Amino acid sequence: MSGFLQATVYGLLQGGLLALVAVGFSLVWGVMNVVNLAHGGFVILGAYVGWEMHQWFGLDPFLGMFVSAAVLFVFGYVLQRFLINLVINGPIFITLLLTFGLELMIVQGMNLVFSADYRSIGTSYSSDSLAFGSVRVPLGRLLAFALAVAITVLLVAVVNRTRTGMSILATGMDRGAARLMGIQARHVYALTFGIAAALAGMAGAMIGTVGTFNPSAAASFTLMSFVVAVLGGLGNMYGALVGGLVIGLVQAWGGQYLPGTWVNALAFLVLIVVLIFRPTGLVGRPYYAARLEV
Amino acid sequence: MPTRTQVPQKGVTSTVRRDQARRLRPWALGLVALLAALGLQGQLYSGQERTVATIFMFVALAEAWNLIGGFAGYASFGQVVFFGVGGYFTAVAMSHWHFSFWVSLLLSGVIAALFATLIGIPLLRLKGHYFAIATLGVAEGMREVVTNMTDLTGGGAGITVPTVGNNATTAYLGNDGFYLLFLGLAALSVLIAGLVARNKFGYALRAINQDEDAAAALGINTTRTKVLAFALSGFITGLVGASYAFQQVTIFPERLFDVDITVLMIIMVVIGGSGTVLGPLLGAVALQFLSEFLRQNFTNLHTFILGAIIIVAVILLPQGAVNYVREARRTKEYSLLANVRKYRL
Repeated sequence: MSGFLQATVYGLLQGGLLALVAVGFSLVWGVMNVVNLAHGGFVILGAYVGWEMHQWFGLDPFLGMFVSAAVLFVFGYVLQRFLINLVINGPIFITLLLTFGLELMIVQGMNLVFSADYRSIGTSYSSDSLAFGSVRVPLGRLLAFALAVAITVLLVAVVNRTRTGMSILATGMDRGAARLMGIQARHVYALTFGIAAALAGMAGAMIGTVGTFNPSAAASFTLMSFVVAVLGGLGNMYGALVGGLVIGLVQAWGGQYLPGTWVNALAFLVLIVVLIFRPTGLVGRPYYAARLEV
Repeated sequence: MPTRTQVPQKGVTSTVRRDQARRLRPWALGLVALLAALGLQGQLYSGQERTVATIFMFVALAEAWNLIGGFAGYASFGQVVFFGVGGYFTAVAMSHWHFSFWVSLLLSGVIAALFATLIGIPLLRLKGHYFAIATLGVAEGMREVVTNMTDLTGGGAGITVPTVGNNATTAYLGNDGFYLLFLGLAALSVLIAGLVARNKFGYALRAINQDEDAAAALGINTTRTKVLAFALSGFITGLVGASYAFQQVTIFPERLFDVDITVLMIIMVVIGGSGTVLGPLLGAVALQFLSEFLRQNFTNLHTFILGAIIIVAVILLPQGAVNYVREARRTKEYSLLANVRKYRL
């Protein structure tokens, strides 16, 4: 029983982080209909920025992640404004391939600059943990979880309540109509992509504190973002949060009770079952799932 | 009077002849290319032979992906699953059940086609990104399944096909043999693509690509057509995977289900021109040649440059080289910037 409780707690904590990793991916997909294969690259890039900040300025990673966010925001904004906007009206292969090319460049660039060694951002408190009866809660992970959930909720509030956020949603619903209302689609798209990259960067810095990372981990974060975004569903900003928590729990329980590395197959099984039986995801809106390339 | 009727008749027969000649020309060119590839073999030394064999392998893979991704427009991002299933079936059949390679090869193709049918029936109902991701999920999931079936597949430690001694069911083909084998597979895949492009099945696939509802309204059984295309594409990919497994001798799940193989197939098709027969062929040759050149000359930067080339190619030539040339010759519009104008915001 305590094994089950421990796995549940661990799964929830991991799920919150996954939600933060995926929320930007889901936003970009929902608004621009772009599946960004370079998303995992952004996550790892954020982790390296956090690592550098800690290494050279002694900045605590939970503060350093704001630097990661700023760097990644600029990077994402420029990429979308001057590169991805060039092919945004093309068929899906085109945007998929373009972002795949970006992923290759980002990952290989990081390999050249930082080497393929595993790194971790160590803090004085990252090995501390709280004990509730027989269940232990690592402090670093708890902090990361709380921040991840808070940022996700904040993002939802910003998107749903501010003028900028509503212009993002409006552009996602009908770009033509949004432009007629005076919204600059180019800028809004770039802004959306920048926000997504910034969130990925923040998530990366947190991942660097609770675990290890290296450039080739990027692909697995992209895949996880896929799974979480599809499971939660598009068109609802809480989709990534729901999807992340469910996947976190499923993986933690799978790790506890399944032999070997069968747990790795579990996330994909969930993905395929959801796609076949409920393509709109758990809380998504049907409009986004039915939509094809514009 | 007779002279007046004879003149147009002559004209008609000559256009018919010219038409026939034009229709036969691609086949003749294909035959010439095949003979040239056979002749080339004598000019290469062993290492080069292996490199060229890899190019042929990718020609076959790109043509296979083109059937489902190019003609039907279903972006299968998990195509490598058929490669892996074919490769592992051959490795297991040869080492555990002592099948000969040729029997395993054929069975691998059939098993991959059956697998494609099985997953195609539910997954081909999905569209766009969702189909892409679902197939990707199948491929990643299958890799884990193969990794965990340690008794049969050896798991992450890999499985070795017996090639020497009493256990060897088929003697190792060597560089000469594999050159011919992959050339044969490339020729087979181009032949299949050429046949599909010209018959009713190919037109049905193109109709599905353009507008699936309209295709259904015209009486095309869209489900059956798509599943058949997926199975055919899986069949070729399975054959290639089986040959690759035998060539590599020892295979690992990480390599046989590597998502990069899928992405390479897609890039080759898109750069060459999707939905054409010539496009994937040219794309595979060009990209594999370039990739090999970069690997030898810029070892560290190889992937980085490849990424940059993909980005530039996708922006300047989104419809692929073959389609670009065809359109440009028809419309006399040769500027690549027209492409950029078409898709930018």
